[in-house]
Amino acid sequence: MIKRFMKRKPDDPGDSGSLNDLSFLLIVFFIVIAGFNVNKGFLVNLPEKNKPRVVQTNDLMRCELGPTGEITIDGKVTSLEAASTTIGAMAKSKPNMTLLLVIDPETRYQRVIDVIHEIRTHDIENFSFRMEEADK
Amino acid sequence: MINLKRKKPRPMIPMSSMSDIGFLLLIFIMLISLINQRHEVKIEYSEAKKLEKTSDSHNLEIWIERNGVVTIDGVIVDAKTLEGIVAESVAQNPDARVHVIADRNTPWKYVNSVTGVLQLLQHRVVSFVVKEAP
Repeated sequence: MIKRFMKRKPDDPGDSGSLNDLSFLLIVFFIVIAGFNVNKGFLVNLPEKNKPRVVQTNDLMRCELGPTGEITIDGKVTSLEAASTTIGAMAKSKPNMTLLLVIDPETRYQRVIDVIHEIRTHDIENFSFRMEEADK
Repeated sequence: MINLKRKKPRPMIPMSSMSDIGFLLLIFIMLISLINQRHEVKIEYSEAKKLEKTSDSHNLEIWIERNGVVTIDGVIVDAKTLEGIVAESVAQNPDARVHVIADRNTPWKYVNSVTGVLQLLQHRVVSFVVKEAP
């Protein structure tokens, strides 16, 4: 009976775990924010300007990208998939292969990215590119 | 025997202060979001399946729109200004990574003009930023 009239002890908010929830939310927020500004893509080494590199003609593969995105390897127009297969086969047979990508000024950026992606897939280290206008 | 001695009340945090903490947290988060603000240009990203993380501790983002407009931190720049900005960034942080973020339909000549500036400054590595293909 006496117990009934006794005041109930107030709960300690520290025990409720709400602060833990808050700090957890804060951590999640920071992780998400940190993930927002991460750039992904391809790291490409830029060739030195006006400094030609000597490469054996046997090890050189010239790949041309036309204005509409068509790919030409050794004078033959080919699809991206076929070009990828050719590049892969050459990379296997010639580990020191150098791939030169000659890009038309009007070629769309996405097409260049597609080709770079294929080159990266085959782990070709010696890769150089230039714009076709420089040739003319 | 009933103990009628008054007990010392235990210290407690008033629950009403939780809303204050919540508000403070909200303000803090908003401020942090402003600090992390990135001047994005409305472009259509290029896509690729296999990507690598290219971000570094110091990054310089060069945005190229499909019509060849080059933007850094929301400011449109020409080739001369771009050269100055890149040179300054690299002088301040020699390890600064330059990111080229171009629209997928940008003709290569515009991207080439930017990489040409980097080549001129003897900057060796550039990151071509693309999105992961679904």
